[in-house]
Amino acid sequence: MEHYKLFINGEFVEAEDGREFEVIDPGTEAPIATVAQAGKADAEKAIAAARKAFDRGDWSGLTPAERAAKVQDFADQVKRQGLRLALTESMNTGQVISLAGYMPLLCVGFLRNLSLAAVTKFPWEEEIPASGNAFAPGRDFIRREPVGVCVGIVPWNYPMYIAIWKIAPALLAGNTMVLKPASYTPLSALILAEAAKAAGIPDGVFNVIAGPGGELGEILCTHPDVDRVAFTGSTVVGREVMRMAATTVKKVTLELGGKSANIILDDADMDLAVEGALFGSFFHQGQVCSSGSRVLVSSKIYDEFLDKLVKRAESIRVGYQLDQTSHMGPLISKQQLATVERYVELGKAEGAELVTGGRRVEVKGIKGGFYFAPTIFARVDNKMRIAQEEIFGPVLCMIKYDDDEEAIAIANDTMYGLAGGVFSSNTARAERVARAIRTGTMWVNNYHIFSDYCPFGGYKQSGVGREFGLESLREYTQVKRIHVPAMADHKSNLTFKIMSDDKKIAGFSYNCPTAVVAGHGALSSIYKWVVDLGCRRALILTDPGVNKAGLAQLVKNALVDFCVGIYDNISSDPDLGTVDAATEAARDLRADCVVSVGGGSVIDVGKGVCVTLKNGGRMNDYLNFLVLTEPQTPHIAIPTTAGTGSEVTNIAVFTSAGAGRKLFIVDNRIAPNVAILDPRFTITLPRDLTVSTAMDAMTHAVEAMMSILSNQICDGLALHAIRLIKENLPIVVADGRNEKARLNMQLAATMAGWAFTMAQVGLAHGMAHTLGTELHIPHGAACGIVLPKVMRYNVDHATDKLALVAQALGVNTAGMKQRDAALAAADAVEALMKEVGHPMRLRDVGVSEDSLPVYALHALGDTAVIFNARLVTNPNDILELYKQAY
Amino acid sequence: MEPKASQALRSLLANKGIQKAVRIDLRFSGCCDSSLSLYLDDISESDLTCELDGLKFVIAPEIYQLAGQVSISYVDEPGKKGFVLRPSKTVGEWDGFGVCDLARRAEPGV
Repeated sequence: MEHYKLFINGEFVEAEDGREFEVIDPGTEAPIATVAQAGKADAEKAIAAARKAFDRGDWSGLTPAERAAKVQDFADQVKRQGLRLALTESMNTGQVISLAGYMPLLCVGFLRNLSLAAVTKFPWEEEIPASGNAFAPGRDFIRREPVGVCVGIVPWNYPMYIAIWKIAPALLAGNTMVLKPASYTPLSALILAEAAKAAGIPDGVFNVIAGPGGELGEILCTHPDVDRVAFTGSTVVGREVMRMAATTVKKVTLELGGKSANIILDDADMDLAVEGALFGSFFHQGQVCSSGSRVLVSSKIYDEFLDKLVKRAESIRVGYQLDQTSHMGPLISKQQLATVERYVELGKAEGAELVTGGRRVEVKGIKGGFYFAPTIFARVDNKMRIAQEEIFGPVLCMIKYDDDEEAIAIANDTMYGLAGGVFSSNTARAERVARAIRTGTMWVNNYHIFSDYCPFGGYKQSGVGREFGLESLREYTQVKRIHVPAMADHKSNLTFKIMSDDKKIAGFSYNCPTAVVAGHGALSSIYKWVVDLGCRRALILTDPGVNKAGLAQLVKNALVDFCVGIYDNISSDPDLGTVDAATEAARDLRADCVVSVGGGSVIDVGKGVCVTLKNGGRMNDYLNFLVLTEPQTPHIAIPTTAGTGSEVTNIAVFTSAGAGRKLFIVDNRIAPNVAILDPRFTITLPRDLTVSTAMDAMTHAVEAMMSILSNQICDGLALHAIRLIKENLPIVVADGRNEKARLNMQLAATMAGWAFTMAQVGLAHGMAHTLGTELHIPHGAACGIVLPKVMRYNVDHATDKLALVAQALGVNTAGMKQRDAALAAADAVEALMKEVGHPMRLRDVGVSEDSLPVYALHALGDTAVIFNARLVTNPNDILELYKQAY
Repeated sequence: MEPKASQALRSLLANKGIQKAVRIDLRFSGCCDSSLSLYLDDISESDLTCELDGLKFVIAPEIYQLAGQVSISYVDEPGKKGFVLRPSKTVGEWDGFGVCDLARRAEPGV
């Protein structure tokens, strides 16, 4: 009789205490081999070998391709052992030879298929192009690394195949392994060990210890050097495995029991359904965790189905497993035989009708063996124990149901959720039912189909995790994220600043991609720009006022045949629905380019349309910071105001009814591709709009300078913007048709836009946003009124910058103390506002004093406030500013 | 039977208010190993019986032949509470590893 030894650290060894046990052929009850019986000491040795092999790095340190090549060598050795494996497996497990004969093929196939997937499809490293944290730019990526030492505990029904389910992904992922096969069926695992050694898998990478789970289980599941446990077995034992593994937080996969429902719908192909039910329940004597041992049959076909199923079941040949004519072999053991018999007795006691089987079978010419006839219970109630508890034998429970909903309810009325089937001639109906069953695998018009790339595992108490496919590789790896910041400087780290009194950010990034064409007649360039952007179908977005003024028509004429339409249903302070409606119009016209002609509201809508047109969905899906990873639909912006700078900025603002305030999308990829500043487009801007939008631009420039993110480039742009506004605003107020002054105002707004794109804005914008949302006060007007108050509030935190602002506003600061110069900047802003007739007080624009406390709370929550020069944490500070402005 | 097990059984029986015997029987709970469990049940004619600490235990002869003498202990730890049954003959290689509770023979349970 052959003797098998344990496989530890590359060697076949006896158990340390010399114990052995016998393994029998369940078809004859005769012993067929002896096996060294591992004890705790052997388990320790195997774990130590696996640990050392992992830490040594000569397996875990190989590239995935190198490991795959070795696993392919292993597959070749398994192939060489194919016949021996098939015969041994059949003799040891009772698998009929027509099944066992396939096992080596399936094992080799899985090793090779998973190797290929590991090399060609599995994302060992993955770039994260947009991290989702706008405050910590840099490179973020993940690596998938091996877990470490993995224990695999394998059951007796498919010992070779289920061993390979665990060995393949564990080794391909760079782990090392200690495999414990079931004590009934250790032989194939030990032959696999021979194949591993012959293939040159390094010593210690793969180890096999055979011995009782009751003795070895605790050490395998609790040893500190074990990182992962994959267990296939009973739910009772699985719970304990999980509990033990939890003490050292090991990663765990459990594949446990099932009581799957095989649902036969009333329109099923009868012959197919009968074969499917038969195969689902009696394949491998029902000793399969995914068995469809509850067969749910529609009342419309119940009697006919039962009749056919019984006849077919009674034609199954139960015989010795190596007999090629046998359809079913023996059960694995006398204990399993006794268990099945007890459940048959129980079924009868519970009132189910035994229609066939329910008895042992004597096989002609064989003495002994654990043979049991295919057994069918009819009139089973799903509450019966035979319907709820897994029997793991050739016992099928037929349950009647009336409609699909009832079938689904019965199928789901179990603590298990491993697999199931639906038989129907209507695939759509079958899939509807399949989707409603809470289980890990559903087969439609088929059963027991396992496929190397298709994940398998349970819902509910059928288990945790998945085997097969890329999912199995994920189970055997862990994810490491690596972050490298864009700037390795503590002074530029926004989050480190939380623990610092100095909030100023030193470093910066200049990323303003918009091409600007400016001057009288600049509109003409649009004809070339559309072509350069690769477009042919430009949709003009505008508002009714601009359209009525004839400005949209000017653009249409300049676009010639490239214009597919004008959409003017955009109002000021647009909401998310405005964007969605405009996008729908763009889709209907198959626009490939957006040309926004209007103020900030129209251009912001244009930005939103470019995003939703490119990516689908609604605008509400994209209210994020810095997450877009590709260029958006091309966008040409033609501002008709000189205020928001939206033609060059990376931000778009929309009112959200759901949030009750303005929300933003911020992304460098939404900055328009081109901004055309043609002063003819602002000539007709009414006086009060000219003034309020100019104050928006002024606020952008001043707040950018005061911001904790301000920098030399932004300061240069902001200061010149301030100068241009100071010099040209009174001119355009006096003479709106002065093109030169109008162009200078547009340039000021654009430069201020660039400035705050880099440096953000601050408290004044937070306060203005709130007033805009709550009371629809024009944004520029609200900004202008609160700006001087905020400048004074910030004076001690941006003194140098405000002093420069004062100079840009024409204040002669020679001889002044810096703080006084800074304060003078606020005075100069107010003077300018008075000069051009800008509202000076909130009460003048309809703000009610009673509501100021609520507005202060809202303003504190505005994102812009984060970047304010002076830290703002107290709403009373903001309330005081509102009162000053009131 | 350990004293703790005896106490736990008596307490459970009192809570359930049931006057039945405690049956030791086979139970299956999934993929590849049956185990022994405890049930409340009526006594059948063919059962072997035993009285311990005032509790009546029954076992079918074929199960006794399979399992031999059975020792019953009780654990009550975080995450693990129930009866541990250890047969003198091997029923499954995981004998004594998991726990069971006391169910009615007619009630499903794991």
